[in-house]
Order: sequence, then C-alpha cells, then structure tokens
Amino acid sequence: MAPRIGLKSLEKRRTLIDGVRSNLHVLAIGVKYFVNPRRMTLVYPKEYPRLSEGYRGFIILEKKKCISCAACARICPSAAMKMIRVMEPDPKHPEKPRMKQYPVINYQRCIFCGYCVDVCPTEALYHVNYHDVVYDNLAEMFWDLDTFQKEPEYKTALEGRPVRIMVHEELGLIKVPVGEGG
Amino acid sequence: MSLAEVAAAIIGWPPVWQVLVIGFLGSLVIAVLAVWFERKAAARVQRRLGPYWASPRLGGLLHLIADMVRYAFQYPIIPRTVDLIPFLAAPIAGMVIALLPLAVVPFTSNPAYWPLPPSAMEYSLLIALAIVTLPPIFIIAAGWASNNPFAVIGGVREAFIIVAYELIAILGFLGAAASTGTFNLVAIVEAQGGIMWLAILNPLAFLAAFIAIVMSTSAFPFEIPESEPEVVAGPFTEYSGLLYALNMGGAYMRRFALSIILALTFLGGWYPLVPGEGLLMGYILPSVVVVVKAVIVVLAISFLRAVYGRYRLDQALDLAWKILLPMALAGIALGLFEASIGLT
Repeated sequence: MAPRIGLKSLEKRRTLIDGVRSNLHVLAIGVKYFVNPRRMTLVYPKEYPRLSEGYRGFIILEKKKCISCAACARICPSAAMKMIRVMEPDPKHPEKPRMKQYPVINYQRCIFCGYCVDVCPTEALYHVNYHDVVYDNLAEMFWDLDTFQKEPEYKTALEGRPVRIMVHEELGLIKVPVGEGG
Repeated sequence: MSLAEVAAAIIGWPPVWQVLVIGFLGSLVIAVLAVWFERKAAARVQRRLGPYWASPRLGGLLHLIADMVRYAFQYPIIPRTVDLIPFLAAPIAGMVIALLPLAVVPFTSNPAYWPLPPSAMEYSLLIALAIVTLPPIFIIAAGWASNNPFAVIGGVREAFIIVAYELIAILGFLGAAASTGTFNLVAIVEAQGGIMWLAILNPLAFLAAFIAIVMSTSAFPFEIPESEPEVVAGPFTEYSGLLYALNMGGAYMRRFALSIILALTFLGGWYPLVPGEGLLMGYILPSVVVVVKAVIVVLAISFLRAVYGRYRLDQALDLAWKILLPMALAGIALGLFEASIGLT
C-alpha cells in the first residue's frame, strides 16, 4: 500500500480553565458517590446469589433411570466420570444377582460443563442450581454411587439470604432480595 | 519535690506535652483513623465495601488495629547489603523530626501555655516551616541506605518532588504572613478572628499550601515516590515489620503536623473558641479545636485517594513549577494587597 500523505494536527492544548474544571468535575463525582454510595459488593456468606434453574451446578444421578449406556463417561472432556460395575439383584430373577454398570464422578476433575447431562438418553443425570459446597479433603470429592444419588447439603442457604443480581438501567448492577419482585 | 511531681512538670511543659501527647499519641490515633477513612471512602466511591469482616459493627475499624499489631510483631528482615546505621536511623529520625514542628506552634492565645517564650514566638511560623523541611532528607537517606534499585529510584523521585513542593509550601504559608504582616502564629490566628479566615481572604495561598501538603506527604495524586506498580514501595522497599510501619506512620505524622500549621494559619486556629484563663479553657479546649480542624484537613487529603489517579513525575513537576509556584507568589501579592487596604 502506498504511503498516504496527510496533515497531522496537534491535540488542542488544555488550558488552565480546562484543568480546573476537570478537577472540580472529578471531585464532584467523588463527593456524589461518597454521599450516596451505590455498593454492589455481595457480602457472601450473609447473602448469596440465587441462581436460576438452568444453572450447571453439581450433577446428581437418578439410578432408576440409568440404562448403563456409558455415554456420559465417554463424553466427559476431563475424564471425571467413570463407569463402575456393581452387583445388584435382578428384578426378573430375584434369586440371581446380576452385574450392572453405573457412573460415578470425581469432583476434583469435573469442570461442570454439563455434557453428561445433555448426552444422557434417559435424563438420568440432572444439575442442581448451586455450586458452593466445601469439602474437608480431596478424598471426599470422589463420589461413590450412594453419594452420587443424593443432592449435597446447601449450607450457604441455611445462613445467608438469597439475592438476585440484576442490571438496572441507571444504577448499573444492583442486588434485589429474592421475593421482592425478583 | 517528689519524682511524680517532676515527671508531671516535664510532661506538662507545653513543648513536651505537644510533641508527646498531641503529636505522638494523637497522630497514632489519627493515622489509624485516616487510613481507615481512606479505605472506606475509596470503597464507597468505587462501589465497594472496604474493610468489613474484622468488626462489622464498627465498619472494619479494628482491621487497622489488627494491621498495627501485625506490623509490631512481624519479624523485621534486614538485608546484608544495606548500610545498617542509616537504614535503622532514617525511619526513626524521620518520624521524630516530623513531629517537632508541634513543639513550636501555639495552641492557645494565653501566654502561660505557649511553648516558646514570647520573644521567640514572634518567629514561630518561620521556625515551624524550617523544621518541616527536614524530614524528607531521611526518606532519601532510607532509599540510599537500602542499596536497592527500587529504593534508589524512589529516593531520587522524592528528591525531585522535594525541590518542587518545598518552595510552594513555604511561599504558600508565607502568604498568610504577608496578609497579617507578622510571623507570630498567635497574631496570625488572632488577625483571623471569628469568620475572617485567611482561607477565604487568600484562597490562592491556601490552595498552594494545601496542595504542597498533599505533595509533601505523598498523598494520592502525588504518590510518586512510593508508587506501588512502578517502584515496589519506593524508598521503603527493603523495610519490613515495625520499621516499615514507622516509615508509613511518619508520612501520616508529617501530614498531621503540617495540617495543624495549616489550621492555624488559614483555618482560624482556635476560633470560634476564645481562650480564657485556666488549664481547661486556656489550653485544652483550644487545642482540641485546632486538632479537630487539622483532622478534617487530614481526612480531606485522604479522600483524594478515592477520585484521583497517580500523576507521572513530569506531570507533577509541571503542575508544581508552572501553576502552583506562580499561584503561591500571587497569593503573597494578594496578601500584601489585602494588608495594604486594611482588610485583615
């Protein structure tokens, strides 16, 4: 490309009046927010965000619906989900136990992408809408088959109050307590 | 005469009382209060919460106490490469000398409680300004003794800033002397009487002196020597534990001492209270009024952190030499004009 010839104009020099005016302006903004603060900090354990139903939180198994297809274990991108074999009584022949495969999950590896829930042909897996569960050690984050069927206790909800974070046209981000038109 | 009476007489002697009690203890409390206010005000303006969890009812005030305790018990690491004696002496000497101006400023018009004899009181503003110019030397010494590139750069930046603000500070304060025709701080305060504050009569000198205080104690728009993202902590990079706290506290103490001089020269001193006889009316209540005015100045300086960014070194020097120095000179001219038409 040929070089273009053009005139370059210098930026207009700021006068003293401009400087004084802009300093007063910024101080006025500071005083305005100081007198009337619009805080958006979430005081976390005291208030917690109420997440919507579609949120991809912890994944729970409904064992009855599982057909042992292993699609969830195959699609898992972080190899968090594995199939295990368990012996269980056969509903057709109660005297003879049978071998069946079920998924278990390792929450050290899970990235909460939700592929397993999407791919499950019988909707045996579902998400709960919370994410903040604390474990004392890494071993507890391996979920066996029994743990995988129970929703973990949501202790934040016992202490805090739920709020919903919304965008206001003038105020920006605001917190609305759930139940007051949330 | 018992030992207790001797001790009481020494503590009660106005210069010692002013430096130790008003200066040292007062500025410790005020440093905590100012840092807390600085963080809370910046948080309010920037839509955050600031310190909170240490004491939710007090708005996180105990957070700063906890910080002080941590500084006091932290293990001070002294690198092998530093020049040991200046390294240790600089923060201590800087802090002590930062408080010395309080030994010469009067807190009352009652001659019984002046820290200086009346003949020396005639030059109290000059003496106070002369002492005010000393502590920055120790900041440079601290940076130089640290033997660390960041510290040396910070010290050099401080040296650049000193030559800019020192002239402005002194000329700004001398604007008050020009208005009233005296270097006697008592006479300057009494000339302001009631409502005729020099901050209103001579706003140019007041603004120059105020900005010079902001620059000299590296408050926010001019926090150039210690700017964290550029030079780690400037001259204080190698300090840790109590020595770092002394360095940081020294800046707040200098700000407090300068604010007291500003409150006396421009903000009407102990007025609206008229000092009378006796210890309470003659000394304690007037000094409380002066300290309250000084604290308001300190908190106003702390508030600037919420709204300003940091100037570059060249921008600060540009502002100082091109705008503030002519403004301080104009303040002196305005003061002389007002004195000549008899306004003050």
